[in-house]
Amino acid sequence: MVRPLDPRLLRHARATRGYVVLSAVLGALTAALVVVQALLLAQVIAEAAADGEPLPALAAPLAGLVAVVLGRTAVAWAAERFGHRAATATVAQLRAAVLEKVAALGPAATDGDRGPALATLTTRGLDALEGYLVRYLPQLLLAATVTPGVLVVVLRHDTIAAVTIAVTLPLVPLFMVLVGLSTQQAADRRLRTMQRLGGQVLDLVAGLPTLRALGREHAQAVRVREAGDAYRRVTMLTLRRAFLSALVLESLTTLSVALVAVGIGLRLVYGDLDLETGLTVLILAPEVYLPLKMVGVHYHASVDGLAAAAGAFAVLETPVPRRGTTPCPDLLTCSVALVAVGVVQPGRDRATPHDLDVTIAPGRIVALTGRSGAGKSTAVQVLLGLRAPDRGRVTVTPTADGAPAADGAPAPLDLADIDAPSWFAQLAWVPQRPILIPGTVAENLRLARPGAGDADLAAASSATGFDAVLRELPDGLATRIGSGGHGLSAGQRQRLALARALLSPASLVILDEPTAHLDTVTEQVVLNTVRRLRSEGRAVLLVAHRRALVALADDVVVVRAGEPACSGAPA
Amino acid sequence: MTPSARLRRHPLARVVAALDPDPRRVLLAVLTGTLALGSAVALLSTSAWLISRAAQHPPVLHLQVAIVATRAFGISRGVLRYAERLESHDVALRGVARIREQLYRRLADADPVVVAGLRRGDLLARVGADVDTLADLVVRTLLPFAVALTTATASAVLLAVLLPGAGLVTGAGLAVAALVAPPLAGAAARRAEREAASARAELSAEALALLDGVGELTVAGAVRGRLDRLAGLDTELARRLDHAARPAAAAAALSTAATGLAVVGALALGVRALEAGALDPVLLAVVTLTPLAAAEAVTALPAAATGLVRARAAAERVLDLLDAAPGAAPAPGPGPVLVADPVLDPVLVASGLDCGWPGREPALTGFDLVLPPGRRVAVVGASGGGKTTLLLTLAGLIPPAGGTLALAPVDSPGPAPSLADLDPATARRTVSFTAEDAHVFTTTVRENLRVARPGCPDEDLVDALARAGLGHWPQALPSGLDTMLGSGGAGLSGGERRRLLLARSLLVGAGILLLDEPGEHLDPATADALVHDVLSGHPDGNAAGAGTGPAVVVVTHRLAPLGAADEVILIGNGRVLARGTHEWLLRHSLTYRDAWQAERGAEGATPDEFGERSGG
Repeated sequence: MVRPLDPRLLRHARATRGYVVLSAVLGALTAALVVVQALLLAQVIAEAAADGEPLPALAAPLAGLVAVVLGRTAVAWAAERFGHRAATATVAQLRAAVLEKVAALGPAATDGDRGPALATLTTRGLDALEGYLVRYLPQLLLAATVTPGVLVVVLRHDTIAAVTIAVTLPLVPLFMVLVGLSTQQAADRRLRTMQRLGGQVLDLVAGLPTLRALGREHAQAVRVREAGDAYRRVTMLTLRRAFLSALVLESLTTLSVALVAVGIGLRLVYGDLDLETGLTVLILAPEVYLPLKMVGVHYHASVDGLAAAAGAFAVLETPVPRRGTTPCPDLLTCSVALVAVGVVQPGRDRATPHDLDVTIAPGRIVALTGRSGAGKSTAVQVLLGLRAPDRGRVTVTPTADGAPAADGAPAPLDLADIDAPSWFAQLAWVPQRPILIPGTVAENLRLARPGAGDADLAAASSATGFDAVLRELPDGLATRIGSGGHGLSAGQRQRLALARALLSPASLVILDEPTAHLDTVTEQVVLNTVRRLRSEGRAVLLVAHRRALVALADDVVVVRAGEPACSGAPA
Repeated sequence: MTPSARLRRHPLARVVAALDPDPRRVLLAVLTGTLALGSAVALLSTSAWLISRAAQHPPVLHLQVAIVATRAFGISRGVLRYAERLESHDVALRGVARIREQLYRRLADADPVVVAGLRRGDLLARVGADVDTLADLVVRTLLPFAVALTTATASAVLLAVLLPGAGLVTGAGLAVAALVAPPLAGAAARRAEREAASARAELSAEALALLDGVGELTVAGAVRGRLDRLAGLDTELARRLDHAARPAAAAAALSTAATGLAVVGALALGVRALEAGALDPVLLAVVTLTPLAAAEAVTALPAAATGLVRARAAAERVLDLLDAAPGAAPAPGPGPVLVADPVLDPVLVASGLDCGWPGREPALTGFDLVLPPGRRVAVVGASGGGKTTLLLTLAGLIPPAGGTLALAPVDSPGPAPSLADLDPATARRTVSFTAEDAHVFTTTVRENLRVARPGCPDEDLVDALARAGLGHWPQALPSGLDTMLGSGGAGLSGGERRRLLLARSLLVGAGILLLDEPGEHLDPATADALVHDVLSGHPDGNAAGAGTGPAVVVVTHRLAPLGAADEVILIGNGRVLARGTHEWLLRHSLTYRDAWQAERGAEGATPDEFGERSGG
């Protein structure tokens, strides 16, 4: 069961708080205007019809009615105007909060299916909240203000009608729940059939190229029609039950109004009631039920919105790992090591990598190699501090001369205790699939060093072969790339990322298959650059398949996956 | 163009025509809807009369009809609305099924080039979500508008019978709410879509870049900057949406004001008519409360109008497919050769063949091939070199961009027919093409195989599976041939999937099999075993291989199993670079040898080898 108003929404999206207050105020105003309108209408009708008052004598209440209409107009305008504004702001705040949280959690937050799910959530998913905020929530608040408010007024006019309404009112949600429960099971069962039948048509369309290649495309058209017909029949069966709850809702509310009207009529005949009171109650009776009815109507809009919000809350409530506070020592005088590191990715049954030891010292090149899927890229993420290892740790050991410390030297620091910004500031990393941010080539190059000068860009570009790419781009450094801009091939992208990494004076440079998409000439340029990094005393970690790269390394470490963890468990 | 002609060509009008709703069902839906809304109006009107009359203390008997009517309207409202809902959904679902069938038939007939230009996801979105949007259009926008208009008109006309002025005022108020406010709301939705589209796209790109590159951005210290930029874009988006939402608020206000003022106007006119003796005092409440109740008919219309905006884009995308050009008409000239059966033992002869998608530069030029029965040819080369285009051209699925492609029955002396001359169904059973991403349907193993040969007995299916290396399958699967394969063939391993597809193409019984990357997405050992099986004649159950069974052309990027091929053709730079046996190419082609060594190197890079290197 979805909570109608999730308190987490108020906590995480501040824009919602003001909007809830505003909606409540507008709800109270609506209640007041509804009551005043009913009183004035009843007064004018009664005085004109029963007492024969002429039009001029009724000018004041009629003017009052016009004022009420204008008031309701203003409320309707404000509800729509501010509803959309609040919805946009809420969506923006939740989106920003989720992305900020993902940034804090690191790449582990986007593992597996979670990446695409987050992408959907932060681009389109949260927009579903608009239906909830603009349509459902105001009705919910109206049900909390108008319904009891108007009922109190009815009570003060006519106890019997008020009791009639008060008795039938709880039946509305009660029957809704009962009908809902009894149809739910059947609906769930049918839903699966519907999905299967609906899927059949799409399956045939998806397989059309295959059917065509087999020369069978026309024979299957009949199946498209049959599946479509079957889909309609099953859907109609489901709807016949699903609409029952609406039927109950509508019938209860209109029948109650009819009962109230007939009751008033009979008591009027016997003189227990006067016309004005009778009319007031008649006009107010439907208004008591209306908000409840509208809550039912917009219920489905709310479900999607709340589901999206719940997806956001799930991310927002993930605990962020503890942050270290020790400033990172100068990495030019430290060796960095993975000690017995193991990572079990969600959904995998074995550690990738398993029990990995790597030591990277300044002025040395280390190559990580091993079969694909053994966990090389994961090992790199652990080393970078972007992912906490499940076993083992990452250490930073200060050394006097850059060589691994002997006994008695300063104790190794655990990466988990080191302040992140001071650590990242000394790293440069080119992942397997470097990202392009939407913007110009220059903006992409300056990602890590926004202040880099044009001469720095030129030097980094020639050291990685990116200068050749720049010459081919229509606007050179000012070419827009990324979404909607100029496309870059995998090789061009890789050279851009290498140049980007070289712009930073990092002490530890990590390159994941840096020459995978490069021709032999450019590969040589990159190999020379890697050698130069070593001669400058920096530490270089390569993830390498190609022989030329492996040959460059001072140390080669093979990454291996562990044995499947669980054996004997049912498959 | 006359206005009515323009209206007929409006995408929504065209799409409604394609939904082809049954007029009787539409009428029934509108009628039940009108009666349902009318019940609500009549409930308040009769109640008003009942109460006004009761206040005059008549004998209760005089009120009996009104009491019964009030109760009846109280009940009929819900029941009629239920009937209307079912009827309108039935109309929509029938229309949707019709459109989907039409779409399927169009796509089946369409020029393959057009269909190939659509990504699978895009195609499914159009046939799926976009068509569903059209169903929504019927249920949530078109029918509600029809019901609102008939109810509002009926209320105003009946009121005019009691008091013409009141009818007029009510009609005017409802007309403003039904005809002016909804277009305003629609305009707001359109404006929001237009003005916010670019901001939304930028925002999405930025969000996706952040999600994709969260690690890289963290290391680069660039996360804060990206988040700030996102916040800026979100502010801009909010500003634009806020600006666009103005007409929607105006529509809500207008609708409330128009219906409210109609009530006050009817009341004032009623009071004046009462003074003049033109109205029975009992009817004053009826004259006032009828417009109050009738407002319900029109208040939801502005929201419904926004559905038109959403539906329009969907309608355009669907019409795009419905308008897809039909496949190329038979070429002028002698016309197709009428061949009842697939050509037996065909010899495919390509000479000077240029292959490419129509309207684009040929990806491959000057391709020659003679493919007698039983010959097994492998085509290799860098990705993007036109290998798939070559297979599609050889299969007759895209026309040759140049050169000739003939199909000669081996013992027929006459002029060889071109594949394009054959009736398409015959052509497909002569040359069978299996795409790299060929579809596994969400149905049983049996039906997945029978797609290639309808009604094929189980023995033949089992035999085909065995020839494709899945002889153990019928026993191993939980329900044998009745085992359901999940959506997109989930539950199959990559190797099983490829072999199932191979079994299916064998069932076609074609003399020529064209296989695109049968080992793609498999681990090297499995891929090599599969390609080796295909080339060595194993899938035909004939170890002798060459000279018998179907001719096979395999496109592959793995070179290891190519020793089994009669000929290997190396493609690059849009032409044939070298051709010969695997051994010959290894000796004579530098490119081929480099590629082969690179392939061996990637796996040959065993730990031990690296160990020696780092030691040395």
